[in-house]
Amino acid sequence: MEALTQLQLAFDAVLGLALLWLAWQTLASPELFRAIVLFIAFGLLMALAWVRLEAPDVALAEAAIGAGLTGALLLTALSRLEPKNKSKIPHSKKPESEVDE
Amino acid sequence: MFMEMLYIGMALFLLLTLVAGLWRILRGPTAADRMLAAQLFGTTAVACLLLLAQALEQPPLRDVALVFALLAVVAAVAFVRRAWVADRETEE
Amino acid sequence: MSVSDIITTILLIAGAAFFLVGTVGLLRFPDVYTRLHALTKADNVGLGLMVAGLALQAESWAVVGKLLLIWCLVLLAGASVAHLVTVVARQRGIKLWKR
Repeated sequence: MEALTQLQLAFDAVLGLALLWLAWQTLASPELFRAIVLFIAFGLLMALAWVRLEAPDVALAEAAIGAGLTGALLLTALSRLEPKNKSKIPHSKKPESEVDE
Repeated sequence: MFMEMLYIGMALFLLLTLVAGLWRILRGPTAADRMLAAQLFGTTAVACLLLLAQALEQPPLRDVALVFALLAVVAAVAFVRRAWVADRETEE
Repeated sequence: MSVSDIITTILLIAGAAFFLVGTVGLLRFPDVYTRLHALTKADNVGLGLMVAGLALQAESWAVVGKLLLIWCLVLLAGASVAHLVTVVARQRGIKLWKR
């Protein structure tokens, strides 16, 4: 029993820390696309957190809304935003490299 | 008792791989890399939920996993169809 | 510990190994295409092994059916997303990695 409780405690601790860190990174990210992907990841982990709080119904709603639909809506909104930024600063963006290391 | 510990331990392990995968989202040179990491997160979360459903004896969690599996594709398709603009600029 | 428990343990550990390999591949591989390769392995085989292990412990056939349904949905999503991303990445001119 003891070891099982400790394992669950470790799971909850990792989950909580990851959630806090993700929330901070999402808010602090200067790049919109990165913030959206981090938000989707946040939704996934939040659903797991609701599961650990023994609220499967809220987890179901979080999975459907937080991770699935809001992510798609935010991505669509971003694609509507992008052309405006591009016309303002035409060639300031330097090409990103596809291969690292 | 051993089986419950195995399930929770596996779920913890999957959570740790998920946290390690965050590095790719933060770093990922192209937008596609970030989206792929999010896709892997979805699958890992499904596996995690299935393990927890068995360990905590809460069958409804399988439905949560089912919703995850259904909606995992929505965000990715929205990304490919609509939001993938950054890499196109570099080409033109 | 019964025989089915032992088989479940082996299958779960094998599945977790695939997830680990997928994450390491995502972190270490050099371009989008190779990362996609690592990722689909984790998606399909890793989750498949986990589902197989858990299906052995399931209390009814309905649960087995639900687990298989989840796996099939993830297979479908993974395959179509991988295909879409590769095709669009080629169109956008992301270069293949060469040593």
